[in-house]
Order: sequence, then structure tokens, then C-alpha cells
Amino acid sequence: MIDPLQASLRIAGAGLEAQSTRLRVVSENLANAESTGPTPGADPYSRKTITFEGEMNRALGVQLVHVKDIGTDRAPFRVEHDPGNPAADQDGFVKLPNVNVLMEMADMREANRSYEANLQVVKQTRDLVSMTIDLLKSQS
Amino acid sequence: MGPIHLFDIASQQARWLTVRQTAIATNISNANTPGFAALDVHPFQDVMNRTQLTMAATNPGHIALGPTDLPSNAAKASDAWEVTRSGNSVSLEQEMMKAGDVNRSFSLNTGVVKAFNRMLLASVKS
Repeated sequence: MIDPLQASLRIAGAGLEAQSTRLRVVSENLANAESTGPTPGADPYSRKTITFEGEMNRALGVQLVHVKDIGTDRAPFRVEHDPGNPAADQDGFVKLPNVNVLMEMADMREANRSYEANLQVVKQTRDLVSMTIDLLKSQS
Repeated sequence: MGPIHLFDIASQQARWLTVRQTAIATNISNANTPGFAALDVHPFQDVMNRTQLTMAATNPGHIALGPTDLPSNAAKASDAWEVTRSGNSVSLEQEMMKAGDVNRSFSLNTGVVKAFNRMLLASVKS
């Protein structure tokens, strides 16, 4: 196992990467919150979901987090009556994505919070390292 | 006058603290992993009490399993503040408090070592 402080930095780095991927998925969902299908009656954009999993890194001897899967939400689509829409079927119904903006916002906040927590770990680990290095100096 | 083990104990505690920092980093990075149980290390006092002779690693390929290595130290934390629906028992607030604790202890540790070193130097120089 490498030095625990180095390991902490690597772990927090993996966490940062995972959370930023999550943020990317959230922004994809938000950007496509109103994306209808390309042809009349076609399925619209379906919400993407992301899951994480811890994986043992043998070289480091520690568990790093990584993205397990980016899947799609199988929740039913919203249906609106809008005959003028190009994606409307013959009855005038349009299928809209199953994206709930409020939920995405909550998810974004959570991703943000976790990202900040990981960043805090990086900062604190750096503090510990510099405290150790400071043992060498200021011995006037 | 008996031998002074301060540097020994201090470096051992510093190692323990860095291992704890690794455990905290693992917990925080897995804050959103389903089914992840928060880890913590055994208290330093326990580590000190069960410190014994360990096998020497005479070859880089040997796996060192000292008393301050993470695998032998990581214990399932039973005092998790909350367990979410997905079976994750990491509480970011709790981890932040633990990290603050580690930071403070490490600062105290290096401060004591520094002061002791200064004392030694003063007695040597005079």
C-alpha cells in the first residue's frame, strides 16, 4: 500500500471524477427536459441515471469509487395534447421526456455537496502533508 | 533516565492519523455508492495496546501488515448517524467532523514533535 496520504488524494480524486460525471448526466437531463422524438409519435429523450460502485484498486490497495453504470430511467413519459407539435401522433398527443426538473435540481445540489466534500478532503490532506513538511523547517 | 519514546509514539500516531484520513476519504468518495458501509479505524489506544512484533518485510514483494495498515485497521463503524434508503451509512457531516478531528490531532502531534526537537537541539547545542 502506498502512503496513506497519497492514497487519500487518489481516493478523493476518484470521488471528484465520479461526482463530476454525475453532474454531466444531470446537465444532459436538464438540457433535454423538453426534447421530443424526431418523428411523429416517436419516443422522446429518456432520463439518464447514474450509479456508483466501489472498486478495489490492487496497485494502491485501497477502494476507489467509479461509475458503475449510466442507464436510462424506464418511468413513463409525460403525454400532452398539442396537435401543432411536429412530434405529435395522429391523435395530437406528444410524448415528452420523463425528466422532472425539480428532481434534477435536487440531484445537482447533492452532486455539488459531495463534490465539495471531496474537495475538502483534498485540501485537508494537503494541510497534513504541509504540516509534516513544516517539521523540517522553522527549526531556527 | 529511561529512554524517551516520544518520537516513536508520535510517528506512530501520525501514521494512525493518516490511515484514518484515508478511511475518511474512502467514506466521502463513496457517499453516494449504494450499499456502502462507512469505515473507521480502531481507536489509537487499542492500536497502541495490541502493538507487537510484526514480520519483517525483507523483500519488496512482501506484504507489510503492520498495526497501522488500513486493511487490518478498517473496522465497520457502528456509530453511523444515519443509513439511507440505499443502504449507505456515510454521513458527510460526521465525516467532516472526523476530518477536523484528524487535522487538529495532527497539528498537535507535529507541534509537540517540533517543540521536543527544539528542546533536544537546545540541550545538544548548549
